[in-house]
Amino acid sequence: MKLARNKKREETPVAPAKAEQNKNDLEIFDFSGEVAVSVRDVDLYYGDFQALKKINMNVPKRRITAMIGPSGCGKSTLLKTLNRMNDLVEGCRVEGTIEIGGRNIYDKATDLAALRKNVGMVFQKPNPFPMSVYDNIAYAPRTFGIRQKGKLDAIVERSLRQAAMWDELKDRLNKSALGLSGGQQQRLCIARALSVQPQVLLMDEPTSALDPISTGKIEELCSELKEQVTIVIVTHNMQQAARISDKTGFFLLGELVEFGDTDDIFTSPKHPETERYITGRFG
Amino acid sequence: MVKINKTKFQDASAKYLFILCACMSIVAVFGIIGYILYDSLPALREIGVFKFLFGSVWKFSSDTYGILPMLVSTVVVTLMAVLLGGVVGVFTAIFMVFWCPDKLRVRYSGGNAFLKKFVAWLNRFNLRAVFDQVIKLLAGIPSVIYGYFGLQIVVRAMAQIDPNYRGFGALSTCIVLAIMIVPTITSLTKNALEAVPEHYYEGALAVGNSKAQAVFNIVLPAARSGIISALILGIGRAVGETMAVQMVSGGTANFPTGLFVSIRTLTTNIVAEMGEVVSGSLHESALIATGLVLLVLVLLINFSINLVPKEFKGKRGVKVLHGDASAEIVYTRKGVIPEILKYFTMVCAALVVISLAAVILFILINGIPHISWNFLFGGDDYQGNSLLPAFISTGYMILFTLIIALPLGIGAAVFFVEYAKPGSKAVKVLRTFTDTLAGVPSIVFGLFGYLLFTKLVGRSIFAGAFTMVLVVLPTIIRSTEESLLAVPMAWREASYGLGAGKIRTIFRVVLPAAFPGIATATVLAIGRIISESAALIYTSGMLSVDSSSVSMALNPMNSGSTLTVFMYSFFAEGLAFEEAYATAVVLLVITALLNLIVRSIEKRVRKKG
Repeated sequence: MKLARNKKREETPVAPAKAEQNKNDLEIFDFSGEVAVSVRDVDLYYGDFQALKKINMNVPKRRITAMIGPSGCGKSTLLKTLNRMNDLVEGCRVEGTIEIGGRNIYDKATDLAALRKNVGMVFQKPNPFPMSVYDNIAYAPRTFGIRQKGKLDAIVERSLRQAAMWDELKDRLNKSALGLSGGQQQRLCIARALSVQPQVLLMDEPTSALDPISTGKIEELCSELKEQVTIVIVTHNMQQAARISDKTGFFLLGELVEFGDTDDIFTSPKHPETERYITGRFG
Repeated sequence: MVKINKTKFQDASAKYLFILCACMSIVAVFGIIGYILYDSLPALREIGVFKFLFGSVWKFSSDTYGILPMLVSTVVVTLMAVLLGGVVGVFTAIFMVFWCPDKLRVRYSGGNAFLKKFVAWLNRFNLRAVFDQVIKLLAGIPSVIYGYFGLQIVVRAMAQIDPNYRGFGALSTCIVLAIMIVPTITSLTKNALEAVPEHYYEGALAVGNSKAQAVFNIVLPAARSGIISALILGIGRAVGETMAVQMVSGGTANFPTGLFVSIRTLTTNIVAEMGEVVSGSLHESALIATGLVLLVLVLLINFSINLVPKEFKGKRGVKVLHGDASAEIVYTRKGVIPEILKYFTMVCAALVVISLAAVILFILINGIPHISWNFLFGGDDYQGNSLLPAFISTGYMILFTLIIALPLGIGAAVFFVEYAKPGSKAVKVLRTFTDTLAGVPSIVFGLFGYLLFTKLVGRSIFAGAFTMVLVVLPTIIRSTEESLLAVPMAWREASYGLGAGKIRTIFRVVLPAAFPGIATATVLAIGRIISESAALIYTSGMLSVDSSSVSMALNPMNSGSTLTVFMYSFFAEGLAFEEAYATAVVLLVITALLNLIVRSIEKRVRKKG
């Protein structure tokens, strides 16, 4: 099964490269460098409250970067600045620069559709649309102008295979997505995010509402997906961060206390706060 | 020991009392259907059901009664009105939820101090809340007022394009009905949109949707069942509307073959001829049979709400993919249509604001100059027309209706919340009947009151009040129920824990805690009583403008015109329109005041919570 899936992947044409030839204005990012996301001197305010303080971090391409820390430390806030979902929050103000694919996304000229097409997101609570499985995945491609059935079918199949759900769902494509189990819904949401071939995938505590078996599946999926996309994951679960991530950032009270290779952070943290947190003394 | 038994006895008897209250809805529905069916039988038997339904001539001088033209007119006019009002209402609701700015941002840099203050004052308003309040106000405006607006503005405007320069007929009726159902559809659609989980919207944005795409492709379809219900309720309201239609439709029983053809609907057929009917005649029975057809039609429409699927259940069949893996996939920016629709929501909202402002300004401009102390409160020694008798009749109407309806409604609500097992069959049946009662058009209530109550107590304020009890009962039950449900379970448990019985808990803990909700229900009921006219004309009666007097109005055994009926009688007699407008101003002010009261109660409750 695994083999078949990998084979399928090789056949899938790489859309962004071709799209660039067509001077597509959605593919405005250049992910040829080793750093996918570069956060520099970012301060974030909700009204008068400063939620993020001078954050600096470089997220490496095609790796899993985990963000950990106690509740309210700003890790989810930072995640949401990466695809500018924070724009929805009233009174939210961001200073500093966040470069994704070589572009400052807080630049005034940034096209949000292009940004979010390239930086997908998976939410804490599974949020499939009230549609069929097929339509859930075909939804985003359709809004990006793909109408031909053959292409849509190909995208749906590819996305489901990428999310390791094809065999489970290929006979249930017309069923309501709301009828799936919580774990399936969350993986469907991952497939939905993959449907527009993002370069970066943001995951906001994707397993916190799931049982251990579903959690295991999603972790396995993440490890497979990092061959193609850069993953930034926020998690409350330190074992999860240790298991799947390559880099880990530890946040406390809006500050990035420590950022480095996951192995180093969990074996020899430099900061006493990091050590106290990962050994479970607070948080 | 004896004491405990006494409490037990009280608890048991109270329970049956509450059940009795809840059963009133069943009695009322069966009573209405039974009475109207029974009195329709002579006509249906003599004319024949088929001939009655499909006969195209209605002429009482020759005792020929076929309601097909009315039936067709009702259906056509309603569908057109719902198409127009539904589109405008739904899109206005979308605008209110997604694009209405919170604050006005009027800028003024001139030196005029007064204007500066005025602009600052304007900018302080929460625009969304104001919009919301205005929509609620409009939903409460009596239909007679819409009728006058239709008569003076819509019909006159239509006369400009009518080849015969008249303007009455199908098109005017449609427009007036559309304006009347827009507030209902807007506020129900708004509720449905606000009930869509935020995470659908966020999910759509996260895959690169623009706001307009997310709203029109995801949120709107997710609110589908609520919106369809809103449209169905709009249809029910349009089918049942009587007075406003009577004033603009022209009134001849024609098929709606053109925009300016004078038409008659089922409701107006009843109201137009009921006054001159001979009791016990075939004519009377035929009119009642019209009411039966109307009732069946509305019940069918309202029951169809239950057929709307609540959530997406999946499509049928198995989807087989024929993916073309070698196809070149290029994502492009699409979605011009949602952006256009976004501007369309603004157009609709503007349309609503303009027509609403037109209705209100029309009344105020025409009415305010004719308001005087004597017009409002002149006694019998005053020579001109005075509203005082109508005030007295309205006051009586409110008093007597509430004295009966409040205990019944609250008792029924207590049964639903405190005694009934949620989800049990009995509750479902009772609930269905309460909802059914809520959907019955007021002219049908009027017909029932005419058949039963005027026979019992004569055409009088009492007969009108008995009829109004049935009209307001569902409202009272529903809003009391909601407020009872909002009382925390823990309070009841605390009361039981202290050894109080059920009845004591209900009267000492639950009902006092639910008081604001019950007060709101009462105010809503008062609003409904004040604005009602179709149910009253043939029960409490419509006095001619000249013959109304304070001395007569003081005795509730006499017939009397409430404010809206009084206002309608100006039209019916074709006189003194200025004073009708002045009456409309009074009604508008009362409606606005009632709205303010409801709002301040709600605000107080929210503050406490």
